[in-house]
Amino acid sequence: MSSEVAAASAPAAAKTDGWEPKIVAFCCNWCSYGGADSAGMGRFQQPASTRIIRVMCSGRIDPLHVFNAFLEGADAVLVTGCHIGDCHYVNGNDKTKIKYKYLENVVHELGIEKERLQLNWISASEGEKFANFIRDVTAQIKKLGPSPLKPEGVA
Amino acid sequence: MQKGEMYVGWSTKEDVRKRGGSGGLVTSMLAAALEKKLVDAVVVLKKINEFEAVPIITSDVNEVLNSAGSLHSVPSHFAKLIANRNLKVALPAKGCDVRGIIEQGKRNAINLDNTFIVGLNCGGSMHPVVTREMLEVMYKIKPEDVHGEEIEKGKLIFETKDGKEHAITIDELEEKGFGRRESCRYCTIKVPNNSDIACGNWGVTGDLVGKATFVEINSEKGAKLLQNAVDAGYVQVQKPDEKGVAMRAKIKGVMEDLGKKWKGKVFVPIENGRLEYFRKELEHCIDCGACKTVCPTCSCGEVSKCTEYHSRGDAYKMSMYHLVRFLHLADACIGCGQCSDVCPVDIPLTRLYRRFANPVQEQLKYEPGMDMRKPPYFEVKLNE
Ligand SMILES: Cc1cc2nc3c(=O)[nH]c(=O)nc-3n(C[C@H](O)[C@H](O)[C@H](O)COP(=O)(O)OP(=O)(O)OC[C@H]3O[C@@H](n4cnc5c(N)ncnc54)[C@H](O)[C@@H]3O)c2cc1C
Ligand code: SF4
Ligand code: SF4
Ligand code: SF4
Ligand code: FES
Repeated sequence: MSSEVAAASAPAAAKTDGWEPKIVAFCCNWCSYGGADSAGMGRFQQPASTRIIRVMCSGRIDPLHVFNAFLEGADAVLVTGCHIGDCHYVNGNDKTKIKYKYLENVVHELGIEKERLQLNWISASEGEKFANFIRDVTAQIKKLGPSPLKPEGVA
Repeated sequence: MQKGEMYVGWSTKEDVRKRGGSGGLVTSMLAAALEKKLVDAVVVLKKINEFEAVPIITSDVNEVLNSAGSLHSVPSHFAKLIANRNLKVALPAKGCDVRGIIEQGKRNAINLDNTFIVGLNCGGSMHPVVTREMLEVMYKIKPEDVHGEEIEKGKLIFETKDGKEHAITIDELEEKGFGRRESCRYCTIKVPNNSDIACGNWGVTGDLVGKATFVEINSEKGAKLLQNAVDAGYVQVQKPDEKGVAMRAKIKGVMEDLGKKWKGKVFVPIENGRLEYFRKELEHCIDCGACKTVCPTCSCGEVSKCTEYHSRGDAYKMSMYHLVRFLHLADACIGCGQCSDVCPVDIPLTRLYRRFANPVQEQLKYEPGMDMRKPPYFEVKLNE
């Protein structure tokens, strides 16, 4: 096993220099997507590492969307939505919260670093919070290097 | 008779007593339920040879009476057999069978009100293929020469056709990689109090040893089942002696502790290289789907989320099928061992699934199949 681990991490080390991680952020239509929008409108500095996928509610984010993002080469996946109590479908994010608990456990047990999967509640007016979040995650992932689930040949 | 009561009992029919695991009480109780129309059908094992048997659903009292015996190398599971059939049924069930049946009940695939679950105490079962190999390697006897098998005082004893007995301790067998299935070693449900009535030989004392079964009534249905068998003249019962009750409780405790110890031994934390470990173990998967088909807590049917992702897309480093199942089983896996048993390429699946299920079920304080509590996901409160 050890030689394979070495083989898997070798290109990782080489790539870290000047390498931009790919981060997939799931955002709900009513809050965190608005947050991303305000981040842009407010011209808050943020790296170009993020690919946003808009869903109607964070409750729509199926854990298998997250697995799929990793298998397709995401270096980190962010699950975001309205603050608890503010979900536009009453309790969608309560369901997100418990689904996330399972997901987080599975991803952790699998041996994926915890920085690669993160949950955050961001309102439509919290542009700065969104930008800071992306900046922080990008910095963390740059330190970690590419995801071990990234398929061969995918940047 | 009522919930909480304990008895020691046996079949009134001599041939059933003779064939029975210990007194034939279970067989006679099932037969009486059928005879007196408490149920329309009964599940029993039909023996093929000393190591194999198939479960059948029957409405023929004679077929039930002819079935008796405890088969330790038959790790079959009954939950899916009776699921989606809308039966009024009585059936024997090891702890893991009971858990599977309850989980199918929660998923509306089994109507538990119409299901009489006769729990069997269970110290463990063995894989038939491993049993044959064990006979040749450890016992140095041909599987075809075996005539009977029993477990006594920690020893697994095989009787050959020439009348000789061959005994080896289970500890020794398991040290060498034989004996009980791995999931049974760390299984902690030894007396199935989640069934309607729990039956076993622990707690039977004196002259009755080997000739009677100790029962504990766990529900109204269980009381009805036993009362019916007594009224029909199929079984005889008496109150157990205090010594027996204490002994049973003690063995139960010892076995549960042993299970916990095994759990620690099997699930040594893997600090580094977990992903590589899982990838390596799953490397030879041929995507046959058998592990999902047998899984007694799954009630998705043929078209399900995991099987939609059977074939490995592109250059994926892991199959979506297994990732989805790791997640879905995290709160649902009852550790029955069926998936490992059937995998054609011998992937130790139960061990893999439990790696995810152990922490999740501990964290959520949720033990599937032990009671009617719904999976925590369904307990989400509004704006909690
Ligand atoms: C695998 C196994 C392990 C057991 N371990 C213990 C133990 O450690 N301690 C204890 O006190 N009791 C244990 N028992 C229960 C005990 O051996 C007797 O089955 C019980 O006392 C009932 O005896 P009986 O004569 O009334 O049953 P019987 O009249 O012989 O009826 C037994 C019934 O169990 C069914 N059956 C047989 N084998 C299996 C199987 N593998 N899976 C599901 N159903 C089956 C048969 O179809 C039959 O209906 C175990 C039973 C099994 C099957
Ligand atoms: S998993 Fe538990 S209940 Fe099932 S056969 Fe093994 S020891 Fe018995
Ligand atoms: S995943 Fe395996 S051990 Fe768990 S319930 Fe399903 S078949 Fe049994
Ligand atoms: S039974 Fe084994 S080979 Fe078949 S899908 Fe499951 S893990 Fe793969
Ligand atoms: S609408 Fe934003 S979390 Fe439900």
